[in-house]
Amino acid sequence: MKKKAITPLIAAVLLVIFVLLLFTFQVPQSQVVVVSTFLKPTDTITNAGLYVKWPWPVQSLTRFDQRVQISEDKFSETYLADHSILLANLFVGWRISDGRQFMNVFKNGSTASAQQQLEQILRSAKLAVFAHYGLSDFVNSDATQLKFNEVEKDIQASVDKELAQNNYGIRIEFLGIKQIGLPDSVTKTVFGRMKAERTILINTAQYGGEADAAKIRAAAERQAADVLANAQADATRIEGEGQAEAAKTLAVFQQNPDLAVFQLELAALKSSMNKNTTLFFDETKPPFDIFRKLPASPETK
Amino acid sequence: MDRSIQKNGLVNLALVLVIFLAGFAVTVFAGSLAGQAAAVFLGLAVLVTFVSWFQMRLEENERLEKLELDELARSRGSSLFEARDSGSFPARNAREQFEKYFVPGFAILLLALEAGGAWLLWHWSGKNPAPLKAANATVAVSLFAIFALLLFLFGRFSVTIARLENHRLLRPGASFLLAGAYVCAFAALGIAGAETKYPNADFWVARGLCVLLGLLAVENLLTLLLEIYRPRVKGKVVRPLYESRVAGILAQPESLFTAAAQTLDYQFGFKVSETWFFQACKKNLLALLLVQFAVLLLSTTVVFVDAGEQAVLEHYGKLARIFGPGVHFKLPWPADKIYRFRTEQIQSFAVGYTPDAESEAAKVLLWTVPHAKEQNFLVGNRPQVTVADADTNDTASTTPMGLITVSIPVQFQITNVTDWFYKNSTPEDLLQSLATREVVCYLAGSDLNDILSHGRLEAAAVLRDRIQTAADKRRLGVKIVFVGLQDIHPPTASDVAATYENVVGAEQTRLATILGAQSDAIRTNLLAGSAAFTLTNIADANRVRLVTSKFAEAALFTNQIPAFAAAPSVYRERLYLQNFAAATLNARKYVLLATNTQDVLIFDLEDKVRADLMNLPITNSP
Repeated sequence: MKKKAITPLIAAVLLVIFVLLLFTFQVPQSQVVVVSTFLKPTDTITNAGLYVKWPWPVQSLTRFDQRVQISEDKFSETYLADHSILLANLFVGWRISDGRQFMNVFKNGSTASAQQQLEQILRSAKLAVFAHYGLSDFVNSDATQLKFNEVEKDIQASVDKELAQNNYGIRIEFLGIKQIGLPDSVTKTVFGRMKAERTILINTAQYGGEADAAKIRAAAERQAADVLANAQADATRIEGEGQAEAAKTLAVFQQNPDLAVFQLELAALKSSMNKNTTLFFDETKPPFDIFRKLPASPETK
Repeated sequence: MDRSIQKNGLVNLALVLVIFLAGFAVTVFAGSLAGQAAAVFLGLAVLVTFVSWFQMRLEENERLEKLELDELARSRGSSLFEARDSGSFPARNAREQFEKYFVPGFAILLLALEAGGAWLLWHWSGKNPAPLKAANATVAVSLFAIFALLLFLFGRFSVTIARLENHRLLRPGASFLLAGAYVCAFAALGIAGAETKYPNADFWVARGLCVLLGLLAVENLLTLLLEIYRPRVKGKVVRPLYESRVAGILAQPESLFTAAAQTLDYQFGFKVSETWFFQACKKNLLALLLVQFAVLLLSTTVVFVDAGEQAVLEHYGKLARIFGPGVHFKLPWPADKIYRFRTEQIQSFAVGYTPDAESEAAKVLLWTVPHAKEQNFLVGNRPQVTVADADTNDTASTTPMGLITVSIPVQFQITNVTDWFYKNSTPEDLLQSLATREVVCYLAGSDLNDILSHGRLEAAAVLRDRIQTAADKRRLGVKIVFVGLQDIHPPTASDVAATYENVVGAEQTRLATILGAQSDAIRTNLLAGSAAFTLTNIADANRVRLVTSKFAEAALFTNQIPAFAAAPSVYRERLYLQNFAAATLNARKYVLLATNTQDVLIFDLEDKVRADLMNLPITNSP
């Protein structure tokens, strides 16, 4: 009996749940819902709450996120007014402003299709606007010369114009340049320039050091030479003074010049002799003349 | 009847083979990921159906052999066949060998195919997310639907026959056929979904079928492992190892309990399915499910919000209130829904680099070694050196710019959950884009050398303010807590960073060279000073020596004069001889005494040649 009562109860509960699921739907605060009756969009609900509908296939729902959605275009090359090339990508905040129109324009209201379309519009606008600006408007050590805001405004105006012309059911909330860069080949040349600049600094330091060192050494050499020259002069002067003082003794030698000269000769003889000197004497030179004075031997006689 | 079962197996084999080939062709034709997964599943079904049919044939041969032998025994007497060795029953031996060696081997092969197929399909589908050819999709949907219908009809028939007549060998193929019907139906739904509202439906169905293949592989592995420990009961019919219970359940969801009971009975070797607990569960299954559903629904009425979190409560889609940390109650899902956010906790993201675990663990960070996947930013660069144009002698007019690598962690807190949740669909992505934009803009207007040196701290503060302003403007509901320029350096690529280091090295080398010169100068000056001192002192010594000696000589001379005056010739001779002896003491002396001879004396007065010069080695020079 008990089991018999439970089964209908379960069936009733399940039926109620099923009916509720079929005839009601919720619209969350973050969504906009387009109600289609026999596949024809008939109502757009933007206010959150619980609503009633006819079950599928009479009425069907298409839900969209009504918050701001973020899309980006590709990081692509753009040609600038000064013939430079810059890589850039943009981010854009957009929202679905007209759900019904959005569903009509994009197949099944596909957000992916919308993003794809928006990306194409963005890229086109980017190329057109970037062509009016130079590289120094994007990179400049003087920040006041940068024109990021102007570029972004111009691109947004261009995109807004395109969206207004074709009524895609979406609205651009904001747009910004997310990233800028250089193609690989240009990047390499910038690297080369940065390295060349550093190399100049390296050479400046290296050869400047060597130059400074050479100057220091030269100054030291000059100073040393000065000192030595002065010392040499002093030495000469001192020796001269010694000779002058010694010359005072010449008067003594003048008392007997013959003896003085003889002694000077002897002194010269003494100082000119050494062990490598070879002398030849005959018997006439003293003291070897002594051999002549010896008595003759008997055999000799 | 047995013959019809074998035929049934053969028909199943033929059907699944044809559908497998056709399914594969349709998959290639439509480029469907789900179709590929279904084709793999059908391929496995072909193998299983073939092996089960072959095993049926072996059993049939064994049965015929037994009948023949029994017939012979009856006609010729039993004594002839009493000694029944293994050679007497070739068909039975063939079946036993098949079950003993081939079936486990095939089960392992099946496991490898299932696991490999699941893995390959998973990765392949990840790399090729949308290859579906839209033009052929409708045809593919129709064909897969027909395959599903055919497989369902034959599969259902075979499953029923197998169950009613208890044909264990018909069951594996029949289960695969029926499961194949559902797989084909899912593939058709996936392709149809991709063609209508859900572009990723084909992909997700393929992923689901990959999971199914993986599940089959796991089941197969478990079956093989459990087979080792299964009690061998004599007379118990052995279940084919390649039979998949998962496929059986998939084919007949209503048989879940039966399959579970059979599995337990088979594994434990006794009737687990006849215990009171099992029977009670089976009888009250609906009530149990309802209770579970009710408990599940009730559990959605209690909300536990962790410390540091806030939760947004939506009542029928409308923002109702914000819950802080603690326990809260709400209406059950789907009337009330909760969305949680980490508000107090500091969250962070990185601009300019993608962190990786290896670089995070590094103790030393060098400019010349990449720390992570780094990104180069354009930056202004006032030239350090003026470059003159060769022709005009003007400074070059190109825009001075450089590249720099920065790693900027940005930390933030959610201060307003409603703004964070309701204003933007992906607020974190937006915040990251805004932060990147501000970093790009700031660096593009800065000077490279300023940023690398004294401008770093200022840059961090400016960037934090700018990102905060941009976030406020977009009503993100966040507070930027910290922006750090913790790692700014010249690009690692092309040795740019290395040249910056070399500048520092060159500066040190310059200082070292100057210091070396200063050292040399000091040495030179000191040596010159000492040499000068020596010179003057030697001169002074010479002077003293000269004066002293001259005065001494004068004194001597004064004393010699009287002696000379007393005996001029003798004194002179004495002086001569004394000095001659002293002067020629070491000289070589030759005294020529004979005056009346004509002898010629030849003296070699050359210097002696050094002995080592005589021993010089002789080399061959060109």
